[in-house]
Amino acid sequence: MLKSWKLKEVVLMSVFAVVFAVVYLLFVQVGNIWAGVIGPIAYEWIFGIWFIVSIICAYIIRKPGAALLSETMAAMIEVMIGNAVGPRLILTGLVQGLGAEAAFAATGYKRYDWWVLCLAGVGSAVFSFAYGFLVSGYAALDPSLLVLMFTLRVISGAVIAGLGGKYLSDGLLATGALRGYSISRDTGKNHKIKGEVIG
Amino acid sequence: MTSRTWLHDMNPSLKFIIVLVSMLTLAWFFNPWTPLLFFLGVILLQLLFSRVNWKVWSLFMIPIAFTAIGYLWTTLLFAADTSGHVIWTWGKFEVTNTQWNTALSLSFRVFAFSSMSLLFALTTDPVKFVMSLMQQLRLSPKLAYGVMVGYQFLPVVKDEFILIRHAHRLRGVGEEKHVWQRLLGMRRLLIPLLAGAVRRAERSAFAMEARGFTGERRSAYYEPISINARDWLLATIIMVLLIGSGVAGFLLH
Repeated sequence: MLKSWKLKEVVLMSVFAVVFAVVYLLFVQVGNIWAGVIGPIAYEWIFGIWFIVSIICAYIIRKPGAALLSETMAAMIEVMIGNAVGPRLILTGLVQGLGAEAAFAATGYKRYDWWVLCLAGVGSAVFSFAYGFLVSGYAALDPSLLVLMFTLRVISGAVIAGLGGKYLSDGLLATGALRGYSISRDTGKNHKIKGEVIG
Repeated sequence: MTSRTWLHDMNPSLKFIIVLVSMLTLAWFFNPWTPLLFFLGVILLQLLFSRVNWKVWSLFMIPIAFTAIGYLWTTLLFAADTSGHVIWTWGKFEVTNTQWNTALSLSFRVFAFSSMSLLFALTTDPVKFVMSLMQQLRLSPKLAYGVMVGYQFLPVVKDEFILIRHAHRLRGVGEEKHVWQRLLGMRRLLIPLLAGAVRRAERSAFAMEARGFTGERRSAYYEPISINARDWLLATIIMVLLIGSGVAGFLLH
């Protein structure tokens, strides 16, 4: 799978993974404290944050595996930084990345419209919920609460990861930093890039 | 005592697999005893075989305690299984012994998972971990060294974050009041951070290739990491603890 990857694309994923690993860990702290007050549901509405790197990398690099690898790398870096969620984060990252990857694979890695990105966010949400069902013991909870948690997570995945990821990547594209990546080649033809000043 | 360094010297890949196996096994238990016994056992192992700084350990555990309390009362309120006899009533609200046990189990599970994670996090060198993943678990060198590059940039990313915050403040960008405004405001921080990251990624990739890095697997490494008999002994001890607390959970429940 990695044969067709340029080293600069792998390193790009890794450096993005570092930036988002820090963001992810900050949100784990926020989530943990809220979870004491309102229970596990505290994580649900911000869950999309944890899927965002896979959507951004897939949207920029546009190669099979970008979503899966970037999310896994972010998880690896979270483990390297050291935290109390620990090594199982790598498994979580793999599962979430697979969810997003499934959505991009379903479109044959050809379409990167906003709805595909939202679908990828939903994919991560569905996969991670199935995983959480096993590992976090959701099976012991009331089905009506589970439905609420699931709905919140899916919405969060679509909005925060899907739309949020697009919003961030488009902003980054406008800075001109992404010349030399697929996103510039593909969108340069049919979209006008807004020359906004950022930073 | 030399045994106090054992967990620190343990092969990182093996430790990683053992931690994952323990967590995935514990996930099937819904009695309070199994996770509690396992949690206590892991602490004992750390006392015997590691030089963990217990102050740092406690700092990590405090937010975890919050999560555990959240699980406790959520499971009490929203338990799927409400059979068993009522042990506590408060107005219309009733708690049965089954509910209480499941709730306790889920909270103890949070503690058991965290103790295992901290055992890994506080005794493992991150660089050795990645090198071991490459050497023992056949992780692609392109990915392994890619992750290493990212990891080395961590302090740079932190400095840059502070710099951008200062630049914003100089230009009078204030803190937003609402949560959603703050979420949208993250774009102002993240975009320059990511743009800088892209440039660094390109420079490092170029530098690596200029020095002959091809991403091919090598037959010899500068720092070989191996698995020895003591690693298997420690793995066996943890597995015995896992099975032991599983069986004890059934007997005591």
